[in-house]
Amino acid sequence: MKGIPTVLITVSPEVSAQMRPPRALYPKGFKIGNSLGRPGMRDLQQQVLRDALALLNQNTRPGDTATREYPEYGEQYEPPRVKKL
Amino acid sequence: MTISRKCVPFTPFDRELSKSTIAIVTAGGVHLKDQEPFNIADELGDLGFREIPPDADSAQLIVTHHHYDHTDADADINVVFPIDVLRDLQAEGVIGGLAKKHIGYMGYTMQLKAMYEGTAREIANEIDRGSRADAVVLTGG
Repeated sequence: MKGIPTVLITVSPEVSAQMRPPRALYPKGFKIGNSLGRPGMRDLQQQVLRDALALLNQNTRPGDTATREYPEYGEQYEPPRVKKL
Repeated sequence: MTISRKCVPFTPFDRELSKSTIAIVTAGGVHLKDQEPFNIADELGDLGFREIPPDADSAQLIVTHHHYDHTDADADINVVFPIDVLRDLQAEGVIGGLAKKHIGYMGYTMQLKAMYEGTAREIANEIDRGSRADAVVLTGG
């Protein structure tokens, strides 16, 4: 099987980083269940998806997560943290 | 839990985005109303996945998943499964088109090995052989 280029949109960047996704976008402050924004915010959803797809062609470091801020999202949420054992 | 020691499975993307077909794979428990719901009664999780066609009506897509609050996805599935948003980007010429298959699965499991070695490979095979996707957007809940 050939490899398949992927890009992850994550709202739990610490958690997803454990699996070292090749490309990832963290829309800062988005809550779980809002990977692309809130319901009906189509312009925001388009921007998040454009930014995620743009990572496919950018010279990212494999395994890194790119953080972007989207003030139009409104109230911000803290992402879940990985428990230290 | 520590960071995986497996190497990063990075596949270069050397195409023009505007000529590429894109697939969505979501762990958010998304499926069509007329497909079998994921089994949320099984405490070990459901290892299955559902194929979603590119012409799926987003109003017919629902979430069966009990490990995140999907109230917002119930109102607008695009917050976890951006199929209408992909169509917007296709209309704008940002992407070439939607892949022939998209995938929903329930990203909660106590059977990590079976998910990693079984389900994940099956999904990758479906995307590789059946979807004609040039790249995949992954989402969680």
